Amino acid sequence: MLKYTIRRLLGMIPMLILISIVVFTLAKLMPGDSLSGEIDPLNTNPEYIAEMREKLGYNEPLPVQYFDWITGFLQGDFGKSTRFKVPVADIIMEKIPNTLFLGVMSLLITYILAFLMGMYSGRKPYTLGDNAIAGINYIMLAIPSFVAAVFAIYFFSFHLNWFPFGGSVDILVEEGTLDYWFSKLHHVLLPAIVLGAMSTASYTQFLRNDIIENSRKDFVRTARAKGTPIKKIYNVHILRNSIIPLVTFLGFDFAALIGGAIITETIFTYPGIGQLFLESVTSRDYPTLMALTMLLSFLTLAGNLIADILYGIVDPRIRLD
Amino acid sequence: MKKNKSLLWLFAMILVVSAFLAACGGDDGDSGSGDSKKEDGTTEDKAADGEPQKGGTLVYGIDAPPEGLYNPAFYNIATDAEVIDLFDESLINYNENLEPEPNVASWTTEDNKVFNFKFEEGVKWHNGEELTVNDWVFAFETIASPDYDGPRYTNVQTIEGAEAFRNGEADTISGVEVVGDYEINITFDEARVNNLTNLWSYPLPESVLGDVPVAEMSASEWVRSTPIGIGPFKVDKIVPGESVEFSRFDEYWNGEVNLDKIVLRVIDNSSVVGALQNGDVDMISLQPVSGPEVEPLENVDIVTYPGLSYYYVGFKLGKFDNATQTITEELPKYQSKELRQAMMYAINRQEWVDAFFFGYANVVNKPVPTSHWNAADDAEADLNTYEYDPEKAKEMLDAAGYVDTNDDGFREDPNGDEFVVKFSHYATGNPTFESRAQAITQYWEEVGIKSELEMVEVNLYYEMIEKDDPSIETFFGGWGTGSDPDPSGLWKADQLWNYRATTILKQINCLMML
Repeated sequence: MLKYTIRRLLGMIPMLILISIVVFTLAKLMPGDSLSGEIDPLNTNPEYIAEMREKLGYNEPLPVQYFDWITGFLQGDFGKSTRFKVPVADIIMEKIPNTLFLGVMSLLITYILAFLMGMYSGRKPYTLGDNAIAGINYIMLAIPSFVAAVFAIYFFSFHLNWFPFGGSVDILVEEGTLDYWFSKLHHVLLPAIVLGAMSTASYTQFLRNDIIENSRKDFVRTARAKGTPIKKIYNVHILRNSIIPLVTFLGFDFAALIGGAIITETIFTYPGIGQLFLESVTSRDYPTLMALTMLLSFLTLAGNLIADILYGIVDPRIRLD
Repeated sequence: MKKNKSLLWLFAMILVVSAFLAACGGDDGDSGSGDSKKEDGTTEDKAADGEPQKGGTLVYGIDAPPEGLYNPAFYNIATDAEVIDLFDESLINYNENLEPEPNVASWTTEDNKVFNFKFEEGVKWHNGEELTVNDWVFAFETIASPDYDGPRYTNVQTIEGAEAFRNGEADTISGVEVVGDYEINITFDEARVNNLTNLWSYPLPESVLGDVPVAEMSASEWVRSTPIGIGPFKVDKIVPGESVEFSRFDEYWNGEVNLDKIVLRVIDNSSVVGALQNGDVDMISLQPVSGPEVEPLENVDIVTYPGLSYYYVGFKLGKFDNATQTITEELPKYQSKELRQAMMYAINRQEWVDAFFFGYANVVNKPVPTSHWNAADDAEADLNTYEYDPEKAKEMLDAAGYVDTNDDGFREDPNGDEFVVKFSHYATGNPTFESRAQAITQYWEEVGIKSELEMVEVNLYYEMIEKDDPSIETFFGGWGTGSDPDPSGLWKADQLWNYRATTILKQINCLMML
């Protein structure tokens, strides 16, 4: 296992180098740069822009810029955001708690819903209930999250007044008190529901299919022949086997947790990584943009690795070496 | 002195279609137009009898997250400026005609070159320190420092000796002479009418930023998380990217402050109408597009005021070399004045403004917004206002030789070649941009000028216009002006922002002639 992990980790290095080159090139290929969006003839003059371009190194040849950036990056210096004028690491750390909170909450909602629906569907396949669940799931999957978010705000926030319509916390609440955490939770619920409830389809259907498949296996027949109650067969024997494939999803979820939800965060004005990422693209904030992309690439690779390792742990039949 | 991000475009000539309303035109990319201000009459902001009410909390909405550079010397975008305006104020105010008037500082000058400023005594920073002219000098020296990373040097540059200070040839700025704690003389490098309006007018708190190296100031806590100013409200707490809490500053120098608190929060455009309806927000700058939805709400008053921005259709008439600040090449396609005028007559500007700015904009005929003291009255200036007149446009085109010679329904140029107007508009996420640009090309097609529309990604748009990209022929643009009404920064022949070049003179002539 250790050998396998090390091998995989080493394999990531060339991959990350390649990703960094692609990310850098793509970022630089975008029209304009971080200064081209700003013109105010009364306060800004062309000399200032020219001077800033020189200062930021935009006039250097691309390979030189790349090596400057990657050298700093490897030493843990992600550069200074051209937009916020603070180190990128600070700005990312500022947003991560919010995004992580939202991510965990939405994942939790997805898991719970998918689990319940998947179990039911798997146990009673091809019934009305199963078809209804599948139908609802696919409709949810097809609704774009921005439509769902706007609708949810309109209905739950403005009509029913159940949830706040935006933000991550009520600023008037004293930080650190119980109210503060409650306010955070209250603010995160609606976006988390929108995110979580909308993406249950893959989990549900995966679980359902696996349960159906397992229920036809020999060990189930044996258990039945022994007289084991049906309920126990499903909840213990089958379920344990059916959860294994879901573990693969966990790896992808890992990156998604940090990656945030670009559209949903923006609509809910929830200051997290997704919103930051979108803004760094539109304002050509290269240091932030590249640090985030590298971070997410790394997390995806790491997530896959974790999924593979978990696989081995949950199911000893799978051997990694 | 608002900072405008992106999209304040430039412009050029005859057609000035304009939208007025913005709070200093500080729109950024996606709004592209002005905003109107609105307040709703909740208890906190006005009492029934018109007397200001004491106490209460005002919830103020903004529609884009601030970047968090809460200092006038360092901010980049209009959103940050909105936040700053709540806790800091300028030494000099502007009246409704945008003429300067004393605030903390009053001044005298004899020759518009040497100014003597006197400060009010007893003005306090939010940390309790007293404001003196040294804080202003500190601001000048910070902005003129070679390490300064903000864009405001133009506002200090005109002080005598600023350039030498910036180049490290002098330890102080020679044009700044401190007379006492409350008196200062400032000498400019030459006499100009607008020296005062151009001058940097915000002090910088030396008591807290004095020890911070200039290069690190924009990242320091005094700019980002605990900014201080001299305004009526002080910053209590900032939740980055979503809200700011202000409370009354009891030692405010200029009278008593009525409100207890202001809570500023970021509200996505999609939630604005609902938030207003529910009373979750008391005051917000509204996009014109939300106007028709908000107007019927009973608990909301919409207040509009003339803005400082305008939009126009520009013609590229030449190529401009910024190094030598001259026009290097004339482009022949649109040199015909009759053609340009006919294209202006062809556009129904009123209809267009009503359709795309929802009635919150006016047609303007000159590049100085009506709020300015030097804005001429159309009638007085004897302007041709180019009323919509497609018949006249057709006649002018016929007379200028633009006639349909091959019966394809569109006019050819005087040489009989195919004539296609290429019109460019910037593209952002805003879906109305394409339709409003399309509408302009349709007006032209109605008088027989074949037109093509190209939507260009907004960051690229800029560069293409600046660099005289051949694919830009006619283009849509807009500018927001600050309180200084001098339009020469935009329109003078040697300015880059006068994107079209070549014919600056011709254009100015046209404008004057209009």
